[in-house]
Amino acid sequence: MKIKFLRTPPSTQFPFTIGAPAMIWQVLFFYLPLAILAISSILQFSEETGIFEGLTFQKIAFFLRPLYLKVILLSFFLALGNAILCLLIAYPLAYFIAFIGKRYKNFFLFLLIVPFWTNFLLHIYAWFFVLEKEGFLNNLLRGIGAISEPLQLLNTPFAIMIMMVYYYLPFMVMPLYSSLEKMDVRLVEASLDLGASWGQTLRRVMLPVTKRGLMAGFFLVYIPSFGEFAIPEFMGGDKLMFVGTVISNYILGDETGSLGAAFTLVASLFLLASAALLYWLIDRLIPGRRHG
Amino acid sequence: MRSIKLEKLKKTVKEGTIIPDVNLLIPAGKFFALLGPSGCGKTTLLRLIAGLESADAGKIFLGDQDITDWPIHKRPINIVFQNYALFPHLDVFDNVAYSLKLKKLPKAEIEQKVTKILEAFHLENHIYKLTSQLSGGQQQRVALARAIVNEPDVLLLDEPLAALDFKLRERMLIELIELQDKLKTTFIYVTHDQFEALTVADQMAIMNHRGEIEQIGTPKEIYEFPGSSFVARFVGTTNILGGKLRNLNADPEIEIANLGNFKVSIPQVKEWMKEGCDMLMSLRPEKIFISKKEVKNFSNHLKGTVQSIVYHGRSTQYNILLKNSMRIQVFEQNEEHFPQEVIDYDNEVNLYWQKENVVILEK
Repeated sequence: MKIKFLRTPPSTQFPFTIGAPAMIWQVLFFYLPLAILAISSILQFSEETGIFEGLTFQKIAFFLRPLYLKVILLSFFLALGNAILCLLIAYPLAYFIAFIGKRYKNFFLFLLIVPFWTNFLLHIYAWFFVLEKEGFLNNLLRGIGAISEPLQLLNTPFAIMIMMVYYYLPFMVMPLYSSLEKMDVRLVEASLDLGASWGQTLRRVMLPVTKRGLMAGFFLVYIPSFGEFAIPEFMGGDKLMFVGTVISNYILGDETGSLGAAFTLVASLFLLASAALLYWLIDRLIPGRRHG
Repeated sequence: MRSIKLEKLKKTVKEGTIIPDVNLLIPAGKFFALLGPSGCGKTTLLRLIAGLESADAGKIFLGDQDITDWPIHKRPINIVFQNYALFPHLDVFDNVAYSLKLKKLPKAEIEQKVTKILEAFHLENHIYKLTSQLSGGQQQRVALARAIVNEPDVLLLDEPLAALDFKLRERMLIELIELQDKLKTTFIYVTHDQFEALTVADQMAIMNHRGEIEQIGTPKEIYEFPGSSFVARFVGTTNILGGKLRNLNADPEIEIANLGNFKVSIPQVKEWMKEGCDMLMSLRPEKIFISKKEVKNFSNHLKGTVQSIVYHGRSTQYNILLKNSMRIQVFEQNEEHFPQEVIDYDNEVNLYWQKENVVILEK
């Protein structure tokens, strides 16, 4: 018996035992709260007594109005824009680290995660200094004569976007880097040798071969960006309303918790649908089979 | 089918491999082998021709066209990589069709060309497989098909058979020769394996550790008449004996310390050859006749003791200890099941060779 036990790896012998802690965690802190959220968004309580009165879809219908759909759409564009910008910046960066900066790749990867060591609020304040009226960027632009009057940069969509890309970029670079690093650089050479330009090589060889890392990075950025609360709040002032802002307003507000739950549900369903659509779209856009 | 000419080509890379001033003419339509030890820069030379690296100085001509500054994808030259570099996300058909699709040929034409070449390479049953599902030999053939479907002027092969086992390698070598014969494309074959180079090449060049071309010639010229001790040692097996040149003008001899004088033939007196100067003599093991008996009609004779015997199947290798404690190798064909004379360990043997079979080299 003992020998038989040793012959197969434990992971195939007791798949459940190994996976149990993670599964319990997932159920307790993800599926269960999600279920509570969904249920509480359709329960109706009496306004005076607080007694359960029945089921209702009114709260959900309340958020299907154009005002709130606009909020969701704005968050969608924020997340999509962030994911695309991060991808455009991260791909060449990851390529550089994987192939050109090879010898110092650990150093470059270290530089990439250094910002995570400082408090998030410090990042925000640092960007205040850069973007404010008498800040670094305005002074620089005035110094080179590009502008005469300081620009309003803080509390604009521009400030939100900059901070979003700044914060989420490593999430895109890491999976892309690990995919690119595994790619045989001779595939690129073979493609060029067979008559492809760099653009064709990117489309026909590099993107397909690194598809998995690209997908991982894209959704690691897209999904949390959609619900991002702090960055639009600090950098965007109160002009623009995003999903995160609305949820926090309702959840923290007096007696509006279940409305917050309903909006969370609506937004989450939209997020799920949009992510599925994007996945399908990227899968179609990048030719070839899926591969490490 | 065009020639490649390298003029004063120079390349330095960070890792230290250096191509110093190489001049080389690779004739059109020939199977050309570039043979050199590992790390001598022969792959770098190939990459320079392909356009994967740019030269520090010098020129590369394709026919009479200067292609030194042409980008890689514009050069009508294709390369077969050592690890094949097949596209893992494409099946066999799409791998081979890659360059044709880039050229935007009509679909029917692509299909016809790819099918034809896959049939010629016995891959017709694997068209829709991923390359990772193929054996090493099949992958090798896909890489070849992918490179030649485009009908390049020059095909570069970078140690293409290194990953295959010996039997398969022998068969692929024959296939390559037949392929080149049919296509008449200029093939440049880079290898560190002298057996491969001697087998395939119409013409070959030997590169030394410093990246210099030591000798160019047909395989037979290179093997039988090596121009330097490096070439003699690197191509095939040989015995190199050092001595002094004697009697240059009449009946030349080499005087080897504590061993005696041996006759050599000097068809053409070279500049370095002076009476009494130091020299080397290369004597191939198979050019020596070994026997326990004394025989006549050989210009040179030497005695020794059998120190070890290595049985190779088609031949037997004897390592003979000479009286000046030098060692010499002798190959003898195993022509018969029951040879008349059995040579064993510690036997006293006579070694004979003709002076014409000796190659004289500068020290």
